[in-house]
Amino acid sequence: MAAMLKVYADRLPQPSRALIIFCRVNKLDFEEVTVNLGKGQHRTPEFKKINPMGQVPAIVDGRFRLFESHAILRYLATVFPGVPDHWYPADLFTRAKIESILDWHHSNLRRGAATFVLHTALAPSLGMTPNPKAAKEGENLLVRSLKTIESVWLKGDTKFLNGNPQPSIADLSLVCEIMQLELVGDERRDSILRPREKIGAWMENVKKATSPHFEEAHELIFKMKARFTSADHVKTVSKL
Amino acid sequence: MAMPLLKVYADRLSQPSRALVIFCRVNRIDCEEVTVDLLKAQHLTSEFKKINPMGQVPAIVDGRFKLFESHAILRYLATVFPGVPDHWYPTDLFTRAKIESILDWHHSNLRRGAATFVLHTVLAPFFGLTPNPESAKEAEKLLVRSLKTIESEWLKGDAKFLHGNPQPSIADLSLVCEITQLELVGDERRDRILGPREKILAWMGNMKKATSPHFENAHEHMFKVKARLSSAAGVKTPSKL
Repeated sequence: MAAMLKVYADRLPQPSRALIIFCRVNKLDFEEVTVNLGKGQHRTPEFKKINPMGQVPAIVDGRFRLFESHAILRYLATVFPGVPDHWYPADLFTRAKIESILDWHHSNLRRGAATFVLHTALAPSLGMTPNPKAAKEGENLLVRSLKTIESVWLKGDTKFLNGNPQPSIADLSLVCEIMQLELVGDERRDSILRPREKIGAWMENVKKATSPHFEEAHELIFKMKARFTSADHVKTVSKL
Repeated sequence: MAMPLLKVYADRLSQPSRALVIFCRVNRIDCEEVTVDLLKAQHLTSEFKKINPMGQVPAIVDGRFKLFESHAILRYLATVFPGVPDHWYPTDLFTRAKIESILDWHHSNLRRGAATFVLHTVLAPFFGLTPNPESAKEAEKLLVRSLKTIESEWLKGDAKFLHGNPQPSIADLSLVCEITQLELVGDERRDRILGPREKILAWMGNMKKATSPHFENAHEHMFKVKARLSSAAGVKTPSKL
């Protein structure tokens, strides 16, 4: 029987992955519809009927349509009664702290990480010219954001953001963003992440809490990473 | 009489600060407004960093509870104060979800476009930054795209407020306060951008009416700064002749 909830996603971008992982961990009855960004499927008139912004992720739940991953995560956490409270706590104060992380994310971690990855690795695949200056600015913002996460929300030996003992939608959204760094290759990734011990530990906690769905949702990223790496290798060999 | 429990740290020059101040006044929320003057770098002091480690406005302290990010604060206040009418942050799941999606979209679109455009057109020198005309140009494009998106997506037909809601939500307030910041770039530039956007202008009029006189009151400071910027520009022009 067809599921009422349809999730339009491409596992290449981060917000899509956070949503897929959330749905699978919580065993939500849904159908995943792939919208391949590399093939421009997000720009088709059919998809614009689903989401006029032409972006993923987007959902259709019966008659109801929604876009923006954080709005979708809040909606699903609320509308499906089986979703444990820790994902989007009903407690006003805990929730407000999570909202402030979700808001901060757009202009900070997301902007830094996505810009850095775009102009370092992804641009050619999307038919764009890489801009080294933008990549550097993105990297600076990314590093500042990672330090902020550690100093403001991962104090002491906290397992998840803001000292919560279990993950929220904010943990999932932010960690999926950081996973995108795999695409720039191990060396660059390590230069940014190795100094950030708390970030590393926290990412492990989120992965453990959502295994095996976390790993499964990231398979595509690792495939793309392998393709980039072998392409670089081919270039290096040709230069010899 | 005891000081209000809620302290709102704001600079009325900042768009998110204005949205919050207007929200509190319209809803008669008992609060003390503490000015954190951005032009005097008061947001960078160690005292203020204790309030908000991000060193940004707005921020609130409500008893023992501290919070930053204007949208998070608006959601919190709309929920914790029982007198706030439902339309600001509706409890209906579907209406609320649509508002969340506008609040989320805002950061990387209207806010990014408008704030960057204003910064690199007029405000940069006041913050010790070099204006970047290329950034201003890109930001203006994003701003114009965002305004068109608002019209085509959320102000369809003769909608009074975003998404056809008959009364304003925190999304209306946040986005309109972002657009009013365009006053700072001067009437000519402002009209070039806003002139063609009839629905945006009508919607802004609706927002002002719904929150008058607090809307006008909260914008007085910004208009004073605009006047200072205009006269500064005016003094320079004669020297070029």
